[in-house]
Amino acid sequence: MYDKEKGLFEAFVAGKMSRRELLRATGKLGLSASAAGMLISSAQTKAMAADFDWMKYKGTKLKLLLNKHPYADAMIANIETFKSMTGIDVAWDIFPEDVYFDKVTAALSSGSGEYDAFMTGAYMTWTYGPAGWIDDLNEYIKDPAKTNPTYNWEDVLPGLRASTSWNGVPGGELGSADAKQWCTPWGYELNNISYNKVMFDKVGVQPPKNIDEMVATAAKLTKDLGGPYGIGVRGSRSWASIHPGFLSGYANFGEKDFSVTDGKLKAAMNSAGSKDFHKKWVQMIQESGPKDWANYTWYQVGTDLGAGASAMIFDADILGYFMNGGDNKEKGNLGYAPFAANPAAAAPTPNVWIWSLAMASAGKQKDATWYFLQWATSVEHDLFGARKMDFVNPVRASVWKDEEFRARIDKSYTGYLHQHDVSAPGAKIYFTAQPLFFDLTTLWSENLQKMVAKEIPVDEGLDKMAAEMDQKLVEAGLG
Amino acid sequence: MATGTAKTAPAVKQSRLARKALPYLLSLPALLMCIGILIPFFTAVYYSLLRYRLNLPAMKGFIWFQNYINFFSDPKFWNTLKISLVYAGLTVIVELVLGLMIALLLQRRTRFNNFVSILLLLPLMTAPALAALMWKLMTNPNFGILSYLVSLLGFPDMKWGSDPATALFTVTLVDVWVYTPFMMILLLAGLRSLPPAPFEAAALDGVPRSFVFFRITLPMLMPYILTATLFRLLDSIQQFDIIYAMTQGGPGDKLLVFQVQAYLDFFQATNVGRSAALMIILWAITYALSNVFIKQWLKLRERAHGVA
Amino acid sequence: MDHTSPLEKLIRAALLAIVIIFFMFPIAWIVLMSFQTNESILRIPPSLIFTPTIENYVALITGEMRTAAGSLKLDFMRNLWNSVLLSSASVAVSLLLGVPAAYAFARFKFRLGEDIAFTLLSFRFAPPLLVLLPLSLYFKTLGLTNTYIGLIWVYQLICLPLILWIVRGYFEDLSPDIEHAHRIAGYNWFQTFWKIAIPLALPGIAAAGLLAFIFAWNNFVFALVLASADKQPVTVGALAFVTASGIQYGQIAAAIIFSIIPTFVLAMFAQRYLVEGLSLGAVKG
Repeated sequence: MYDKEKGLFEAFVAGKMSRRELLRATGKLGLSASAAGMLISSAQTKAMAADFDWMKYKGTKLKLLLNKHPYADAMIANIETFKSMTGIDVAWDIFPEDVYFDKVTAALSSGSGEYDAFMTGAYMTWTYGPAGWIDDLNEYIKDPAKTNPTYNWEDVLPGLRASTSWNGVPGGELGSADAKQWCTPWGYELNNISYNKVMFDKVGVQPPKNIDEMVATAAKLTKDLGGPYGIGVRGSRSWASIHPGFLSGYANFGEKDFSVTDGKLKAAMNSAGSKDFHKKWVQMIQESGPKDWANYTWYQVGTDLGAGASAMIFDADILGYFMNGGDNKEKGNLGYAPFAANPAAAAPTPNVWIWSLAMASAGKQKDATWYFLQWATSVEHDLFGARKMDFVNPVRASVWKDEEFRARIDKSYTGYLHQHDVSAPGAKIYFTAQPLFFDLTTLWSENLQKMVAKEIPVDEGLDKMAAEMDQKLVEAGLG
Repeated sequence: MATGTAKTAPAVKQSRLARKALPYLLSLPALLMCIGILIPFFTAVYYSLLRYRLNLPAMKGFIWFQNYINFFSDPKFWNTLKISLVYAGLTVIVELVLGLMIALLLQRRTRFNNFVSILLLLPLMTAPALAALMWKLMTNPNFGILSYLVSLLGFPDMKWGSDPATALFTVTLVDVWVYTPFMMILLLAGLRSLPPAPFEAAALDGVPRSFVFFRITLPMLMPYILTATLFRLLDSIQQFDIIYAMTQGGPGDKLLVFQVQAYLDFFQATNVGRSAALMIILWAITYALSNVFIKQWLKLRERAHGVA
Repeated sequence: MDHTSPLEKLIRAALLAIVIIFFMFPIAWIVLMSFQTNESILRIPPSLIFTPTIENYVALITGEMRTAAGSLKLDFMRNLWNSVLLSSASVAVSLLLGVPAAYAFARFKFRLGEDIAFTLLSFRFAPPLLVLLPLSLYFKTLGLTNTYIGLIWVYQLICLPLILWIVRGYFEDLSPDIEHAHRIAGYNWFQTFWKIAIPLALPGIAAAGLLAFIFAWNNFVFALVLASADKQPVTVGALAFVTASGIQYGQIAAAIIFSIIPTFVLAMFAQRYLVEGLSLGAVKG
């Protein structure tokens, strides 16, 4: 290989040179784009290979269980880098998102060692961890013999590292000193406002700054636009309706889902502050939410924004990101804004969803699996995905500083970097980690549906719901 | 058989023995094929007697019938029972009436009728989970063609599956769309295989049509009706795909039928004990229902054979 | 023979028209969607006017899907093949086992006969979820996890009871006299069963087989839990178009059309048997 080119690529991978500079320089040298890609890959390998024996598990074959998701696509697009660097072969099973977690539960609960690692969300590890299906990754991260010295775990955003670690004690604080690292963050989403700039300009409003403004702005949009409705939020009967916008706003007022005293959990959704927030939220949906809000999942919220049926959403930032491209009618019209529901709050407190990678306890080649996990969550792969694929949002602070990535996002996604920069420090999981998470959060969404349908008043509904939850906690020995 | 008389006697003897064994020989392979399934079934029965939540392994323990006893004092369970029975009853009755009506419309053997009857099977061929996805789009207030058509008829605010008042109607509509063809095809085959003699005689005597229908057609068709209804009932009380894809059991707890609840209990809450107990109850209900049906069916069969 | 009045004819035609519209409208709409882009499907209000495109079908056949988040590889044709294989093999096994059993229950009164018949039926009403998870444990032990054989075996839960009970009804409607006559003519039991009973009951067998095929085709929970991605049927495959960057309605519609075609062709092929009912002469009167 020509030393001159290798020097260029190493400078690029080390972040000393921008992509454009690199391309110009390689163009001068007469390299084709694909050859350049190969060299980037070999440079990635070289950057990572410093003082670490990547070839130690050469010849091993790993199998992954993946969700059909842009993050998995980004990984697959770069997998040759891993294979050639380690000599480890990687196969995978991809399942549609709709049935993905059913497949994971089925595979793990049968004790099958078929899959070595798999994609998961942090909430799911609150089940998988105590059930004994996944390993504590601290044993690997903290072992210098197993982990590449340039892995730089501290570079992963602190809120995400904390949110994916838990000591397994019901109500135990996430990221505590005795916490186990159940999975490594891979890509994540936080919840803010994505809005239709054209519609906002037409009506003459700005992205709202707090919940009262949001209720008012959404109502004005609904009224003045004559067609599209003001705000899209999720509402289906599922825990997944609570965790995005709703909990982000809720947490901004300092409200909690459960209180923990002496290791006992108690529902905290019937506090005065909580009731107040619920009332505003319910009113907002009734006045300016989608007509069939109770059916709304990730898909409907996104579809409506992309097709111009809604003027804004309070949901995952990457949902708004996806809707600004593809064959969406409103592509290019979307903007992004941070949102702190509480006027007194200093910054937004978005709850997060973290797509992560976990190691199956039943797997039989764990050291090799860890090689894959550390590569897939490395700075190098994160950078590759963020620059070239839709591996957004990256979980590493250094990638967020990368000029090429920032320039790419800033060009087509107005306000996206800003909303992220402002919110990232407060972005973490605001739920209480406990084994009944899915039962009780689903129950919460069920009650929200009843409130929006005016079947029960908010105050009374929350009191009854809290009582029901307390009873379930007692039955499970947690309350 | 070109055998001599010498062999006749032992052959008869042999055949008597063979005759006794024959029905067992014919039916046992089918039974053996399915019997393996009984083992997991009993495992599940055992699970239902445990306090068994995968993410609370320390709590695991044998608790006899506590999971079942808990249901009695749980209003959510009674809601599940009620809504499952209502759903099954409603869908099966509508599908039976509609299916019978269509079968009668298509009874005459013409090329057109034959073609239409196959065409009407198309909804049944659409997997319910996917059909529900399409119906969800068609009933979407923004993009849905059905919402649009209904708004032209003067109902601009129809909220279909998301409104507690119309949720049951909506999922029933989808169920009827998917499964009425099942009823139709079985009843049509039944109608067309009825012997013509009684009908010809009735026509000659000028017997009123309604009398013919209620006194001749319906009774003769009854075994087919029972079979078709039984299979629909068993499936309908266990409905999952359509309800889960359309509303996930909501709005509120309006459509939280057995399978949806058991599914959530298992796959989300990993509460194996409770989920298994719930399904054993569902199994017991279907067992009892089918028992009634089969008894009736056998009685009808016997009567039919007796007459013949 | 035909003594229907013109008014009645009119009413019957009108009713039939309503029936056809109700059942065919969603199908027609799905066909239309399958020729549209997502952008064109998601219009407010929905409209019939669009520029048709075949890109949804092309994407399914070539296995390349373009979404808001770039291009995705998919293996829909493999899913389709899996469905064909699983459904036809399962129905074939069910027919092989179920038809003789159905004949036995219809023709012979034997000890435990009704009990066996009822037990077989009872497999139909075990909720799939109930048996699935323990089953996944046993499959692991038996080495059946992730095999077609294992899946075909489990599919018997769907197919066998249906075939057994429907075919039994048809056998019971056939007069045993014909078979007796044939036996007296010197044929053995098997020849009579094969040459007389089965051909006479063929419409019932065809109907039951087709229905079993449809139910097997529409199932997806068994394969999802018990097999890996390369053995999933179309029902799971079609869900791949529900992606993080949006639901690709056009491709789901095309996938539905693709998944209906094999069954529909089969139904058209078996039409003669399906809707004939039993041949008249054979039925006892």
